[in-house]
Amino acid sequence: MASSLAERRAGRLFVSPTVLTLLVLGAFPLLFILAAAFTDSSLGKPFKEFTGADNLATVLGNADVVASLSRTVGYAVGTTAASVVLGVVVATAVHQAVRSGAVVRTLLLLPLIVPPVVVGTLFKLIFNPAGGLLATVLGFVGIPAPAPLSDPGLALGAVMVADIWEWTPLVFILVFAALLGQDPSITEAARMDGAHGWKLFAAVTLPAIAGTIAAAAFIRLVLALKVFDLVYIMTAGGPGQSTTTTSYLIHQVALKEFDIGRASAITLLLAVVVTLVTLPAAGLAARLRRKEEATA
Amino acid sequence: MKTLELDRGAPPATVAVTGGAGGPGTSPDAPGAPRRRRGRPAWAVTVVVLALAATLVPLAYLLSVSLMGRDETVSGILFTTSPRFSNWADVVVGTDLPRSIANSVVAALGGAALSLAFGLPGAWAIVRYRSGGRGLAGLVTSPWLLPPIVAVVPLFTLLRILGLNDTLLGLTLVYALLNVPIAVWLLEGFVRKLPPDVFEAAALDGAGPWRTLGLVVVPLMVPALVAVGTITAILNYNEFLLATFITQSPESQTAPVALSLFYGDRTPHFGKIAAASVMVIVPVFAVATFLQRWMVDGLTSGVGK
Repeated sequence: MASSLAERRAGRLFVSPTVLTLLVLGAFPLLFILAAAFTDSSLGKPFKEFTGADNLATVLGNADVVASLSRTVGYAVGTTAASVVLGVVVATAVHQAVRSGAVVRTLLLLPLIVPPVVVGTLFKLIFNPAGGLLATVLGFVGIPAPAPLSDPGLALGAVMVADIWEWTPLVFILVFAALLGQDPSITEAARMDGAHGWKLFAAVTLPAIAGTIAAAAFIRLVLALKVFDLVYIMTAGGPGQSTTTTSYLIHQVALKEFDIGRASAITLLLAVVVTLVTLPAAGLAARLRRKEEATA
Repeated sequence: MKTLELDRGAPPATVAVTGGAGGPGTSPDAPGAPRRRRGRPAWAVTVVVLALAATLVPLAYLLSVSLMGRDETVSGILFTTSPRFSNWADVVVGTDLPRSIANSVVAALGGAALSLAFGLPGAWAIVRYRSGGRGLAGLVTSPWLLPPIVAVVPLFTLLRILGLNDTLLGLTLVYALLNVPIAVWLLEGFVRKLPPDVFEAAALDGAGPWRTLGLVVVPLMVPALVAVGTITAILNYNEFLLATFITQSPESQTAPVALSLFYGDRTPHFGKIAAASVMVIVPVFAVATFLQRWMVDGLTSGVGK
């Protein structure tokens, strides 16, 4: 599309707020973090003195930091896998079982709009060993009340349950829209050829929506890597360090210890890890999307 | 996914894949089509029922606990026989909660309006004039990819320099910027679906870029602006991490921050915490009930483009 000079000039002006945003939210924080990571910095007085790689060496040698990074990645991969499987299954089921799905869809989407702080509160109530929903229901069948949020082996899983409850509806609605957008004549043709049930789904439906599933999985992964609110409300990182994700650890170091230099060094590591995890996922999603378009 | 006119209430000719909510009958469901006669598979009905239960039981439980007295919340009952609506009154009257909810609404709506005002010209220029080239188009979403904790301390410092720390205005501006990438990304999907001949006609009539944007693009994009505005407003309303850093005083606190402070007591009253949670959800649920069709449209547009 050839743009005139006037259009190019107006276009530059139109994108300037977007560019400004990228500078303030992207470039500025990264440069700030980079500068703070290599200096002795506190919240009140950043960049006091250049300290080289001291901060990075300290945090890389800290077992808690390294453990929090692998915990964050494990958490994100686990919640993403669960959300994607559940989201696809529910979307397919709603597509098969309900004619228009308007009411069902409205109800299934409710968790998406509940503030994460409320989601955390809600699951804290559910998991409360003294009279919570889980303990009460298990009590009916005679199983002793578990205390998921104060058991180091269960706490992270309990936070994941809340996260999965909150964000699976996003996967559901994206996949459901893709299912509705399918060309019905292709499915009909496959059915005429004798394909039905699981075979029809695996051979015709799944390839047609694979790109959407990959994109939804990517978005879900990014959201899971950001987890902070649920940890803050449900466990405050405990018991011990068992639910201390890296975002929560940075919050602790920055606001409880006021050590911005060390917090920035951890932030830098988190940014690197998030990039390493999301880039291959983004590439895979883009490849599947292109394939989906080629077959469509 | 090519056709995404989900429930937009568009004229029937374009509603190819309508999923319900008052839309006209979709072609696969037309009477006599083979699909109808196959009935509803039992597994699918079971999954739908389970999914509805998993979604709704926790919300119903929250409502139930919000009506319990302090002793009842730890006594192992699922609902109380003597509901205490006084819990609801207690968390609203004489507390910071109503003001914090009002603060949240202001920051959410103000931030969303600014995000749209910043994002729409950008989305249009990126699609129509290729402004910024592939570089800008690819970089737009990059700030969204990193966890927000990365930006917290730098933004905190920036607001302090500007004298906007611990103010609702500062938080609103942060929310406005925070959602520009999402707004541009989602709006791009809608801009691509605008009929190109409209712009050619406008250009033939001698309309420059500004007039085309104001008089052609904006009116055509109203449904998209409602969709993306609703999504960004809800994201703002629910945001916690930045709000807890930026707003400390009761005057500027948002609802999620105020709610997080309910745990401050040594022996928290779960009934009142649940009641406060219910109060915080009410505005989002009210908005979402009215605007859900548009929200779904906005969500699916970004991924489907």
